[in-house]
This record gives sequence, C-alpha cells and structure tokens, in this order.
Amino acid sequence: MKKCKFDDLIDSYLLNKLEREERENFEEHYFNCQRCFEKMVGREELMNVVKNKGQMIFADEERQEEKKEVLFIEKILSFLTPRQWAYAAVSVALVLIVLLNVVPLLKKTPQPPFFLDLDKEERIRGESISLISPVIDIKTVPSQFMWAPLGNDVEYKISIYFNHQPFWTNTTKENTISLPEDVKNRMEASRKYSWQVKAFSPQGILLAVSPKVQFKITSCK
Amino acid sequence: MKEKLDLDEIIVKYRPILSFRIRKYLGHQNPDWEDVVNEIITNVIEKIKKREFRGESSIGTFIYTISSRRIVDYIRQKSKTLKHFPEPKTFPAPEQEFENKERAEKLAEAIKKLKPKYRKVLHLYYYKGLSRNEVAEKLGISTRRVSERVDYAQKLLRKLIKK
Repeated sequence: MKKCKFDDLIDSYLLNKLEREERENFEEHYFNCQRCFEKMVGREELMNVVKNKGQMIFADEERQEEKKEVLFIEKILSFLTPRQWAYAAVSVALVLIVLLNVVPLLKKTPQPPFFLDLDKEERIRGESISLISPVIDIKTVPSQFMWAPLGNDVEYKISIYFNHQPFWTNTTKENTISLPEDVKNRMEASRKYSWQVKAFSPQGILLAVSPKVQFKITSCK
Repeated sequence: MKEKLDLDEIIVKYRPILSFRIRKYLGHQNPDWEDVVNEIITNVIEKIKKREFRGESSIGTFIYTISSRRIVDYIRQKSKTLKHFPEPKTFPAPEQEFENKERAEKLAEAIKKLKPKYRKVLHLYYYKGLSRNEVAEKLGISTRRVSERVDYAQKLLRKLIKK
C-alpha cells in the first residue's frame, strides 16, 4: 500500500510534538483520510497499552538489559582476580600519592636545589656562577677577569688566592673586572693561582658562588 | 431520502473522528467530550440542511472547521467557569471502561507474542521513550526501518487481536 505523506506525523501528533500549524494541517488531513485516522487510533491504543502495561509486557527485555549491565560489570571485574584487583588498587593508590606529592613540588621548583661546597665545612644552596676567563694556564698575567652575569642589582665579590690564602679581593656590579697594576706586578710566573666569584643581593645575601678555578702563569709579563 | 442517507453516513463516518479530536483537546477523562461532539454533529446537520455547506471544501474539512470553532468556544467558556467551580469529576461509562480494559489485555498479550525484532522496537520506542534515531542507533538499523517495523508490528497486532 502506498504510504501517506502524513504517516510520519502520527507519532509526533499523539505525543504532542507538532507545532500549531503542522498539527492543524494534520488534523484537517485525518478528517479527510480514513486510512490515516484508523492508523492513528490503532497507534494511540498501542502507545497506551505499552505505557500502562509495559512493565509486564517487556519484562524479558528489561531483564535482558539488566543482565547486559551486570554482565558488563562482571566482565570488567573478571578481568582480574580479587587478589590482583587488590594489588592494582594499592598500586593505583601509591601512584596517586606519589603524583600528588611530586607534581606540586615540580611546579614550585622546576630545578632541583643546587648545593655548592665552599670547603670541607661549608656548603651553601644557590645558583652557580660560570667563570669565563682565565680558566686555563695563561702566558702572561691576566689583566681582566670575566664571568657569566646573574642579573641586575647583583654585587660580585672576586677573590684571587695563592697557596689557598687570599691574594687579592674586590667587588663590582659588572661581570668583569680589571686587575690593578700593583696586583699584576705582584703576580709571578710559574705560580698557580685560583679565583672565585660570589654574588650578593643588595641586602648582602649570598646568592651564588662559582667554583674555585685554578690558573698558572707560564711566563713572565 | 437521499439527504437523510447522506447525513446518516456522515454521522457514522465522522463521529469517531470528531470524538478523537475533541477528546484529545478536552482530555480523555473529561466527561464533557460526548456533549461537545453531539453539539458539533447537530450543528453540522443544521448547516447542511440550511445548505450552508456548498461543497467548496470537502465535508471532512467543513466538519473540521466547525469542530475547531467549538473547541475554542469550549476552552473560553471553561476558563470562565473554572474561576468559580472546581473541575468536574470524571466518570467513564462502566461498560465502555470494561470493553477498553478487555481490549487492552488482548493487545498486551498480542505484543508478547510478537517476534523479538518487533518487540525490541516497541520496547525502546514507546516504553523507553527513545527517539526514532536513538532506537535506530541502538539496534543498528536505519530510522526508516524503525518506522517500518512499528507499522508492521501494528498490522500484525491488528490481526492477532481479531482472532
């Protein structure tokens, strides 16, 4: 039998889902189309019976759906034995504890704390200063010492040592310093010297320390 | 005689259609629907007798238009009445109620006898209230096929309850 173009509106009409104009068009239609009217009456009866007696009619389907849900849960549960589930739960809990403790730390301090041993007794926490020159043996007495800058408002204290004893010390806000002539004159060839730079904040707090680097003057000035 | 025969035919044919529409608007449990339907039929007959129906539209559309006016009047009148009186209690005719109940039982039994593929569609579409698209997706069929299965299930049920 040829399908009527209003066929698909029957359910929507019965469920009050049609807009006013569409609804009135459909109503006028079923006053003129016996087939649609009969189909609609049958459909309404069917809907009412399903609505009122559905629990009894579809008891099997409902049971099957419940069974499917239970089977799904059972399938997940049977994936591991109870003992394995317990281990898994404990492992997950441990991983969570570790993550919860480590992640904030990682966020707050992206780099691990830096420790620098000043000598056998003294150790400080802070950044390191890279010394640029001199860092190896040099032919003549160096006239300039240079290191990597740390930032603004930093005061550097440079110390030159001979035989582990302070030989000369000075401060500057630059990352370089020239040796005064009298100091240069005091420095001798074939001797080993070492130097170190410490950085301080404007409040005098030690921020960073460079390693002590040794250099040797191979010939005289 | 010809006019009388036509009027009888009209009444027989359009009373159920009118009743359906009026009950939908007034509410299925509203006892007024029968009076409203009778009023409309009387009105239709009068108009036909007075030759107010000139055949410019179909008789179906003519009755539909009269019923629309009556529905509007009823709702207007009812909203005035309700200001002073409570809603009348419903009282479906006992024999009608029994007949409907028996038919519903038969239909429920017939649905239980349907093949699972039809039952599944009815279960999801009418009982669970899923949309046609959702039913189609759940059963892995097209929406057109969902409508076809509902239609076919209805045909089968009609046959089953006639037995």
